[in-house]
Amino acid sequence: MGRTLVELFYDVVSPYSWLGFEVLCRYQHIWNIDLRLRPAFLGGVMQATGNKPPALLPKRGEYMLKDMKRMAKYYQVPINISALDLQHILGSSTLGAMRFITAVDMTQPQYVEPLSREFWIRFLSQCEDISQPENISTVAKKAGLSSELTQKLLEMISTPAVKNRLRETTEEAMKYGAFGMPAVVAHYNGEPHLFFGSDRIELLGSIIGEKWLGPVPSVPSPKM
Amino acid sequence: MGRTLVELFYDVVSPYSWLGFEVLCRYQHIWNIDLRLRPAFLGGVMQATGNKPPALLPKRGEYMLKDMKRMAKYYQVPINISALDLQHILGSSTLGAMRFITAVDMTQPQYVEPLSREFWIRFLSQVAKKAGLSSELTQKLLEMISTPAVKNRLRETTEEAMKYGAFGMPAVVAHYNGEPHLFFGSDRIELLGSIIGEKWLGPVPSVPSPKM
Repeated sequence: MGRTLVELFYDVVSPYSWLGFEVLCRYQHIWNIDLRLRPAFLGGVMQATGNKPPALLPKRGEYMLKDMKRMAKYYQVPINISALDLQHILGSSTLGAMRFITAVDMTQPQYVEPLSREFWIRFLSQCEDISQPENISTVAKKAGLSSELTQKLLEMISTPAVKNRLRETTEEAMKYGAFGMPAVVAHYNGEPHLFFGSDRIELLGSIIGEKWLGPVPSVPSPKM
Repeated sequence: MGRTLVELFYDVVSPYSWLGFEVLCRYQHIWNIDLRLRPAFLGGVMQATGNKPPALLPKRGEYMLKDMKRMAKYYQVPINISALDLQHILGSSTLGAMRFITAVDMTQPQYVEPLSREFWIRFLSQVAKKAGLSSELTQKLLEMISTPAVKNRLRETTEEAMKYGAFGMPAVVAHYNGEPHLFFGSDRIELLGSIIGEKWLGPVPSVPSPKM
């Protein structure tokens, strides 16, 4: 029996997407799954579905700061957001960053995982800008991309090919029923199963016959 | 070291509250906690905080029907809601039911758990059962629900939930290390456990063998 394809549609603006991302990156080495990262644009999903960032509701925003702090600790993901940072995040655009990750996905997909992680670390841990080209370059370098490749990719991000690819991925997420992120789609028993949120991975496991070992599972010893 | 007080603020209109309720009812026999059920009014919380039922967003409502079906199965809670049922739920008022449960909480609190469960079974499932309250007692309680005492108690409980920061339900408050910790949603019980030093054993943990 083949591995279950599990697709993660995410945007680096979303802290809960980072949690889901790290958990799935861990479980791809433990569960019988093929994890496919799908960089998408949350702003586009919100606009099309009429959804709004939950943090816009004041009491919910206050709660989220505490929730993210505890989840970050339990999930061992270095999210580090203050109330001011949250305001800043709500006002930022990650369109450039997601186009850059899309360009990498189209040309050097092995870098998508480390690159996404570096974007998150800069944006939601260090709380620095990721929209300016020089900052995107810094992130790319941290992820191991050469300056030459980074330059080429920066030029690609405003091309129709990259814009269309990001738009198509975003529409695909919505075709599966996504209205927010992280949106995880597990292809099992011949059909797609959508799971919304960083807190449905245990349920996903139960559907595909796998056991939840918490957000920081031990990796089995490597085979010699 | 004493048991950790864990308060569950809930309304029977909320399917996710039912999930959280059943999980906490199981874990009260396993974790070192004292579970205190706090019947409250979700409509009041929504109005005060500006929140709205998530199902009002069409794509989210569609997703919730599937989510609830899978969660119901995994959590072994007989939630059974169709798209039409969801519309009906959104249009219903549970003010009377929550006042009734409040009246029971004020007079015969041992019935709050089974009574809440029966309300959920009737409202969000299709299986019929009995709660075990005598009809005489039920009549007295029905008379109580429109009294100021009961109305005020429900209002106070609802305001207390909001004092802790609740904007929706289920709202779980664990009193640990001298402070209250709010957890929103049926999917934060594992995290609650990690804060109070307890291990998550899934939504249907085995109850340890009774001591002889």
